[in-house]
Amino acid sequence: MSKLLKKTHLHEFHKQRAKMTEFGGFEMPIWYKGIIPEHMAVRNSVGIFDITHMGRALITGANSVGFLNYVTTNDVAALEPLSAHYSNMCNEQGGIKDDFVLSRLGKEKFLIVYNAANRTKDYEWLAKNAKPFSVKVEDVSDNIAMFAVQGPNAQKTLQKIADSDLNKIERFKCGWTKLAGVEGFVSRTGYTGEDGFEVFVWNAPLANPISAVEVWKAILEAGEEFGIEPCGLGARDTLRLEAGMCLYGNDIDETTTPLEAGLGFVVKLKKDTFIGKEALTKQKTDGVKRKRVGLIMLEKGIPRPRYEVWKDGENIGHVTSGTFSPVLERGIAIAYVSVQHATEGNKVAVKVRDKFTDAQIVKLPFYDPVKYGYGRQK
Amino acid sequence: MRVLDYEFPDKLYYSKEHEWVMVEGKEVAVGITDYAQKQLHEIVYVEVQKVGANVEQFQTMGTVESVKSVSDIFSPVSGKITKVNEELAESPELLNQDPYGKGWLARINLTNFSRDLKKLMTAKQYADYIKGMEE
Repeated sequence: MSKLLKKTHLHEFHKQRAKMTEFGGFEMPIWYKGIIPEHMAVRNSVGIFDITHMGRALITGANSVGFLNYVTTNDVAALEPLSAHYSNMCNEQGGIKDDFVLSRLGKEKFLIVYNAANRTKDYEWLAKNAKPFSVKVEDVSDNIAMFAVQGPNAQKTLQKIADSDLNKIERFKCGWTKLAGVEGFVSRTGYTGEDGFEVFVWNAPLANPISAVEVWKAILEAGEEFGIEPCGLGARDTLRLEAGMCLYGNDIDETTTPLEAGLGFVVKLKKDTFIGKEALTKQKTDGVKRKRVGLIMLEKGIPRPRYEVWKDGENIGHVTSGTFSPVLERGIAIAYVSVQHATEGNKVAVKVRDKFTDAQIVKLPFYDPVKYGYGRQK
Repeated sequence: MRVLDYEFPDKLYYSKEHEWVMVEGKEVAVGITDYAQKQLHEIVYVEVQKVGANVEQFQTMGTVESVKSVSDIFSPVSGKITKVNEELAESPELLNQDPYGKGWLARINLTNFSRDLKKLMTAKQYADYIKGMEE
C-alpha cells in the first residue's frame, strides 16, 4: 500500500489483524473477523472502532457562538456546555459542505468533528469564515486519538476503566474522564444507531502513540467479558446504513441540501443570518423536488450506488448507498427519488444491473427500533 | 499447493479472473478460487446462468455479491451449462467455506477444451500469478 497514506496510532495493531484499505487519505482497517460478525457484535453487545482519521478542530474565543451560528445550520446558542449536536455546514446555495457533530466544551470553547475526506476543506472553510469574528480555529486532528465504543454493552465496558460515572452522561452529552489512567473526553454519540460513546484521547500526537494504544487495549480487555470485537470501516458503513444515517460523498454533498436529505431538523431558519439561509428559506417555501428515502429490497439483490430507481416505467431517482443488511438479511439502500413518489410503503423497482428488482420505500432506521438501537426496550 | 494464505489444488486449471476448472470427462465443474473468495469475503448472493445456457470462455456467466461489492463471474471455458449448484441460493457462504468442493458453481459440457486450455493456467502458474499480484 502507498507510503503516502497516513497511519493512526493503532496502525501496528490493525496491520496484524485486519484487511486494510485507503480511506480519506489514511490506511485503515476494513475488517478484522468480517463485516457481518463485527456488525452483529455492535448490535448485540459491543464493538470498538478506530476513528482517528476523522477531522477535529477547536473553536475558541468570545464570539464562538456567533461564528458557529453563522457557519453552521443548527442553533449553537441552545447548545449547553458539555452537550453535543449533529449539524451541517452549507454553501451559499444551501448545498451541504459537510455534516458533523459539534460539542460545547465550555462557554467559549467548542470541538467540531468532521469527515476524514473533508479535513482540509472544512478547516479552510472555517478559518476563512472566522476572520470577521474574534475566534481562533485550531486543527487538532493530529493531536487527538479517537475511538468509538458502540453497542448495548458499551457503557458497561467503558465504565470498568473510567474514573467518573458514565451513567450521568446522557445521550448527546459529554464529559471529561480518565480512561485507564489516561486523560480523555467522551461524548455519548456515534454512527451506528446504538448507545455508545466516542472517546477522545487528548494529547496523543500521532508521533507518540503509546497512550492511545494503552486506552485501546484497555477497552478491548474491559469488553472481553461482553465479546467485544474490533470493528473496521466495513461494519461502520453497514451499521450507519441500517440506522439510516448519511455518508458524506455518497448520500449528501455540495449539490444536495439538508432539506432534500431529510436533515431539516438541524436547519434553524429562525436564526439570524447563516451561510445558505436564503437559499434554504426559498427551498422550504417552494418545496423540495426530490427527497432522501430508505429502500428495502423485496427480492434478492443488493442495491449499490448509482443504481436507478423506477416506478411505472419512469426513472424516478437513484441509489446513493446500498448494502446487505446483516440484521434484516436482505438488500437495503438510501436513495433520492422525486418528491411525489417519496412516500413510505410505495413499491418501486431498483435496476440491479439489467434486472428490475422489487423494492419498497420504508421508514428509517431500517431495523425495528424496539429491538435494536439506542432506544431499544431493555 | 499452498501459496501465501491460499490453497490451489494441483489437479485444477485456473483463469486470470480467478475461476477454477475441474475436468471430468467431457464435462467440467467450475468455481471461484480460494484467492477470489478471500478477496470478496462474506459472500451473500450468487447468481449463475440457467441450465441449458451457452457460455463463452471469459464471458460473464454470473455474478457474486459480497457485503461490500458485486463481481462478475467469467466462465473459464466455452460450452453449455448442464447443472448449477442449487444449494448456493440458500447457502452462498459455501463459496467461502469450501470453494473447491461444496461451493462449486456449475457443470459445463465442453465445446473445445483443447482450445480453452491454452488460455488457462496450472496450479503452479496461477500461484506465481497470485504471488506477482500480491507483491
